[in-house]
Amino acid sequence: MEQIFQILGFFLIVLTLLMQWEIYVNRVILLFSISSFIVALFLVLLGTSKPGEGTLLFVLAGLTVFTRGLIIPIIMNRALHSLYKKPWRVREDKPAMGVGGSILVSLALILGGYFIYQNSLYEVLKIKSGSVPFALFLQASLLIISRKNAYIQMMGFLVMENAVVMLSGWVFSGLPFIVEAGAILDLLGLVVVSSLIIRVREGAIMQEGDIYEKELRG
Amino acid sequence: MQENIHLLPLLCSFTGALLCLLPVRSFDKIISVIASLAAFGSVIFLLTKENIVTDTYYIDGLSKLLLLTIALLYLATVLYSLAYLKHILNPLFKNKLYYFLLNLFATSMFFSVSMDNIGLIWVGIEATTVTSALLVATENDQVTVESAWRYVIIVSTGLVISLIATTFIYGASGTLSMHELMLHHPNNRVFLLGILLGLIGFGTKAGIFPMHTWLPDVHGKAPAPVSAIFSGVLLPVALYAMARLIQIHNLPVVKIFCVTLGILTVGVAALMMTVQNNYKRMFAYSSMENMGMVLIGFALGKYGLLGSVVIIISHGLAKSSAFYLTGNILSVYHSTALHDVHGVLKKMPATGFTIFLASMAVTGAPPFAVFAGELFILKEFVHQYNWWLALLIICFLAIAFIAVNVRTGRMVFSGNPPDNNRVFRSETWVPVINLILSALVILLIPYIEKLLANLIGS
Repeated sequence: MEQIFQILGFFLIVLTLLMQWEIYVNRVILLFSISSFIVALFLVLLGTSKPGEGTLLFVLAGLTVFTRGLIIPIIMNRALHSLYKKPWRVREDKPAMGVGGSILVSLALILGGYFIYQNSLYEVLKIKSGSVPFALFLQASLLIISRKNAYIQMMGFLVMENAVVMLSGWVFSGLPFIVEAGAILDLLGLVVVSSLIIRVREGAIMQEGDIYEKELRG
Repeated sequence: MQENIHLLPLLCSFTGALLCLLPVRSFDKIISVIASLAAFGSVIFLLTKENIVTDTYYIDGLSKLLLLTIALLYLATVLYSLAYLKHILNPLFKNKLYYFLLNLFATSMFFSVSMDNIGLIWVGIEATTVTSALLVATENDQVTVESAWRYVIIVSTGLVISLIATTFIYGASGTLSMHELMLHHPNNRVFLLGILLGLIGFGTKAGIFPMHTWLPDVHGKAPAPVSAIFSGVLLPVALYAMARLIQIHNLPVVKIFCVTLGILTVGVAALMMTVQNNYKRMFAYSSMENMGMVLIGFALGKYGLLGSVVIIISHGLAKSSAFYLTGNILSVYHSTALHDVHGVLKKMPATGFTIFLASMAVTGAPPFAVFAGELFILKEFVHQYNWWLALLIICFLAIAFIAVNVRTGRMVFSGNPPDNNRVFRSETWVPVINLILSALVILLIPYIEKLLANLIGS
């Protein structure tokens, strides 16, 4: 089972790398949706390997598919459709980092996550691939920092949340169900509120250009 | 069953939120006033009850005092909003939604300071982001919406760090119950890392350096009542979570970590105040400075903790008063730039006089209780560390005091007001009452000490 988890973790890292290199917003949303399905699959497999906690993990997997895999991407896509005539052409025009730079930084973060984990937590946890969630977390941080497009930044934040689900399930045997459920509810609320704010923000930028920098300095 | 009485404040505000959605004209305002009054009344009632620690609730003196501060500022903010919202020309949404979110925001804060489970405290604090993000964007211009977005993305990212911390704590100890963790917890690297990450994560929400960058943006652009409730209680609620983590794992390394973060926060805030041209951002940095002091006090414990709680209550009341009054000033001068605002005392005597006193109060001028709180913290600091570092903190506090009061004094006393007849029907009585209450906090110190007796060991 450990090897299957490693393969799923590898897929998640690859998907996040693809998000890092992608400039079209709707494709980033699609990649996030796929990665959420992988997280749900991971939870199902985890449930089958832990008979005592199986039911709760299956429910959690269902919630993950429903909220992260379906509802959140639908909300984000709707927000895109309501704002742009051709939502499939919405892209990050000037990412802070080019593709070459982001490949290098992403690889450096994966290695960094691995070394930090090996030299700090591995001694206690004894899980060989425990660095995967940390690498995912660092990748997601890069996505938030290196992009200006609010939709992509939001996706970065959601990938971080997926990394936490991986971390809690794989490395630490999960959080209490009430906390996981609360976190999912919060996440859903946050996405709804964020999509409203993003819509107003992007609309204002389209009309007036970026005029906020001066007032929010210092 | 008896223990569920502690849900009263939360139920009052939650019911208020739901009733706000009813399609009856002005019902949202009336219901919000009633809900906030009922919540305040129920908190006063809870103050007379014994502390309670169960698998669901953890309500001791610290929680009670936080509940009281939240209830007071919730009521004051609802009352001030009644007049202030009329002056927002192009709101992002209807007043009904504003009051709905404000009531929910109070509910999430009541929830956060009542729970025993660290995971649920996290859920509550994350819920404060969900319920308050749109409140920040009420005034609906590009800069305001941008600040709301920065708030969402920075604070949520910080809170993911505290969710990871929660995972670490649960993974290492097998429980998230605070009272169980206070009795016994593992002493390994994973647990320690969980505590430290939790401090950074919740510190983001509390405006602690280096994750404070959202704070001046949001306080600078949010409507006055929202800035007031953010500064007065949202930041302390996040600090409450930090205080509990410190209480659980009170090792020297955790203490030093918090004291370092606290000193850096006070220092950065004080220096930033000296270069501010925007009075709302200046007051925002002042809140950051006070939160830095509160964190130092929580880390020191004993009388440092007493000082922190005194600052939370007194600062909350005085700073909310200052922020409400910035709303009055903004409505008349139509600018948040310091160089555009002169002669406030001539134009709006009550506003001018009260904001000057409020700025003195929040920067620690005697006889306001912030001064007493800072003295308690510094006394405990000298006792546990040394004079040199205490002197450094005093220098930062002095810089902040001069920066804020000189600028506020210039706004209030110097020059002549603009030659227009625009008079804002200001709600000056709410900030005045808050300021008076802030001054009276000093008389309540023995009572606060009594409530915190089990924490400060007296």
